[in-house]
Amino acid sequence: MTPPAIVERALAEGLAMIAICDHNSTRNTAAVQEAAGARLTVLAGMEITTAEECHVVALFPDAAAAQAAGAAVGATLGQVDDGYEAFFGEQRVLAADGRERARETLALATATRLDVDAVVELVHGHGGLAIAAHIDRRSFGVIGQLGFFPAEAGFDAVELSRHVTPGSPEAAGFAAHGLPLVHSSDAHYQRDIGAARTLVHCERPTFDELALALAGERGRSVGDA
Amino acid sequence: MKLEDIARELGLTELTPEVTGSAEAEIERGYASDLLSDVLAHAPEGGVLVTLQVHLNVIAVASHAEMAAVIFAGGRRPEDDVCAKAIAEGLALYVSPADTFDVVGRLFAMGVKGTHA
Repeated sequence: MTPPAIVERALAEGLAMIAICDHNSTRNTAAVQEAAGARLTVLAGMEITTAEECHVVALFPDAAAAQAAGAAVGATLGQVDDGYEAFFGEQRVLAADGRERARETLALATATRLDVDAVVELVHGHGGLAIAAHIDRRSFGVIGQLGFFPAEAGFDAVELSRHVTPGSPEAAGFAAHGLPLVHSSDAHYQRDIGAARTLVHCERPTFDELALALAGERGRSVGDA
Repeated sequence: MKLEDIARELGLTELTPEVTGSAEAEIERGYASDLLSDVLAHAPEGGVLVTLQVHLNVIAVASHAEMAAVIFAGGRRPEDDVCAKAIAEGLALYVSPADTFDVVGRLFAMGVKGTHA
């Protein structure tokens, strides 16, 4: 998935805003923003693996904030060894035109040494939004890993995977945590982009508007309600 | 097998000496898992849990399952607030420098069995 391919597919799917959330890295976010230009809002994000092996989607106000948070996350990861890429895949850092700029040498597929609380604090410290990723999934969701939802961690929203239908009784059950629900494709392949989406009621597709919508402030909201 | 005998035999470090009476508890069953949703579903009442998870939720899950004690393997130590919660719940916590496989193997050899044994 190159930056131009991601942007083209997102536009074809009619999306107004996407987030680039590589595992434990923010190094590809600026390239996709550049590839999108003014055609599509691309948020700089990261899917962080906590020490408990819970996934947390972090969304940042800009690429600089994302890079700073990404550096803090990267500092807790080990290095890849020989054979790592054969098993976990190539860790390409791409330019806006899709050319390979570098190979990431941090082992991005492993867990950070930051626990859930520390990850949420880190994300908030960089002005970002912390979303409990795919909490309906057994693997790497906070409920699967921790038995029940850690209310005290201070998440801004919970994310449901494409396997849960928006508005279904199952989705309503997850709303019981008292946080807004977002639906995301968690696209690992180009064909998955747009497979799930969140309706955001706001003035324009920006990070600030999304933050207001998740907080339910100034008439903004997420979801069908 | 009494909890105090297990602690001595395995060279465990006790994190919650304030939990009184637990040393005398008879331990017959054990469970090992790092997925707390799995612990919630399968852990045996009155048993001991061996885990790498040191999140606060371990205490709630183990208490809910009415387990007697938790052994954190691999030398992992929970934060003070986790220990405080365990003390409040009357749950004994221990740390072992050994990994999960070794801790479970030694428990089994001492007669502590799994849920299907």
